[in-house]
Amino acid sequence: MSAYAALTGAGFRAQVRDKATLFFTFAFPLIFLVVFGLIFSGQDVKASGRPYISYIAPGVMSWGVANAAVFSVAFTLMQWRRDDLLRLIRMTPTRLPAVLGSRYVLALGVGVVQAVLFVGIALLPPFGLELKSSWPLALPVLVFGITAFLTIGVVIGSLADTPEAVAAIANCLMVPMAFLSGSFMPMDMLPDWLQTGSRILPLRYLNDAVSAALSGRGDMGDIVLGCGGLVVFTVIFGAVSLKTFRWSNRA
Amino acid sequence: MTDATAVPAERHEATEQTTIVIEEIRKRYGDRDAVAGVSLQVRRGEFFGLLGPNGAGKTTLVEIMEGLREADSGKVTVLGQQPWPRNVALLPRMGVQTQSSAFFVRQTAREHLTTVAALFGAGHDAADSALADVGLTGQRDVMVENLSGGQRQRLAIASALVHGPELIFLDEPTAALDPQARRDLWEVLRGLKRQGRTIVYTTHHLDEAEALCDRVAILVDGRIAALDSPHNLVSSAGVPTRLMIPEGRLSPEDALAIEGVDSAELQGGSLVLETRVSGQVLTAVDKLAGLNDVQTRTATLEDVYLELTGSLAGTGQDGDNDTEQQA
Repeated sequence: MSAYAALTGAGFRAQVRDKATLFFTFAFPLIFLVVFGLIFSGQDVKASGRPYISYIAPGVMSWGVANAAVFSVAFTLMQWRRDDLLRLIRMTPTRLPAVLGSRYVLALGVGVVQAVLFVGIALLPPFGLELKSSWPLALPVLVFGITAFLTIGVVIGSLADTPEAVAAIANCLMVPMAFLSGSFMPMDMLPDWLQTGSRILPLRYLNDAVSAALSGRGDMGDIVLGCGGLVVFTVIFGAVSLKTFRWSNRA
Repeated sequence: MTDATAVPAERHEATEQTTIVIEEIRKRYGDRDAVAGVSLQVRRGEFFGLLGPNGAGKTTLVEIMEGLREADSGKVTVLGQQPWPRNVALLPRMGVQTQSSAFFVRQTAREHLTTVAALFGAGHDAADSALADVGLTGQRDVMVENLSGGQRQRLAIASALVHGPELIFLDEPTAALDPQARRDLWEVLRGLKRQGRTIVYTTHHLDEAEALCDRVAILVDGRIAALDSPHNLVSSAGVPTRLMIPEGRLSPEDALAIEGVDSAELQGGSLVLETRVSGQVLTAVDKLAGLNDVQTRTATLEDVYLELTGSLAGTGQDGDNDTEQQA
């Protein structure tokens, strides 16, 4: 068995054996979807005349996928370093790309399951999401999104030495970003300057591109722009993560 | 006493019989010398102990050998190669015991070891044989979080053995074990030595170092204060052997008349003789008073250690750590 396959297997077992992580990854974002979906059931956004669910479903999905990517790799890196497991890996001939590659594949798998689950629920009658024919494009968009947010998670996991620090940094980043990027409420409800300002947030690009693909709120140009933005964030945070990565907490 | 100046100069060229050669290694943290010019060799198949008080530089020195740290100056050769920077050709030939927390979470003992084995590219049955080596076969399906302290310690050792390395670094391997588990682990460690593996081992248990190690280096303030076999260190330490004869069997005056007796005084119901030639004095005592119930206390590695490390802090040893034997 290759190091990459073994690490992926261990990561998969750790993931499915932890009920708290499963809840946080799958059920928690679903609560947002259900609550917002039921509150605004059958209502349209005045500014655009589109149903709320066409905003909320892609928004909550993007946020849930991004959140899981950030938290899972940040927690894992912090924990592996704290427990000296990274030191153990450092003392084996396994290369760092195999280690990060296994986390990447796990994050992609989680993201795909989340996407199928969230869209599946949103399609149910009480919510009434209507998928556009461009929906398969959401898949590559999600891959770009997971990649970008994974690099952010690597940076957080390298900076934070405790679970509390991971949660604090990641939440401070992800919760405001969710509101400012239109995950929980339509961007059309935000003032113009905020709509423009939110262009500096990676989740905005993920939201826009997923919305364009799933519910047709936007066109092919929005999907390409979203993916391009996510690539830029991946390069920036990838470079930062190379600088901040540490094998050990010891000086 | 063996001191730094008395450490015999070693030849520093690597041979087939040498696993680790370090020459004039120095490592500084801020204005403190963690390792201040250490040279030593670890021979192939040797059980080599690294002793010293906390902060003496043991961990830094071991991490330099393992390739986890770069020395400021000096030369390190491990199995004929440079361990720094990270040398992936060398790593599979070394095994490093980690902290007993370094386990993949929510895995069984066997799953953890299988993963570690795969990281080394070792075969699938490597995990089972490593579990058997450390006596954890019965716990193979127990989650690592549910193992006892001693079992975790053994799993950490198994993680260092799973790929069959030639050189093994062990850090306080018996720290969390009860006396029986400790003795059991000694057998595991002796078994590794019998298989021809080289072991570098740090510990605070001096009885253990004396029982297991072929040679020990005592590190004080980043320097080697002594390096030799435990037997030679104890012999050359010049700590006298004490003979305890039940009171009344022999007078202090008669005892002092025996050739080789340095002192004789009554203590706690015994006449205590101090001598550096215990064999000769025991023969004489046998003739004068018989050897029934005569006890001898010889110096141990701990006496040597305490004298070396304590003298620097101005606190000499008090002789309470002798081993006791019936003559």
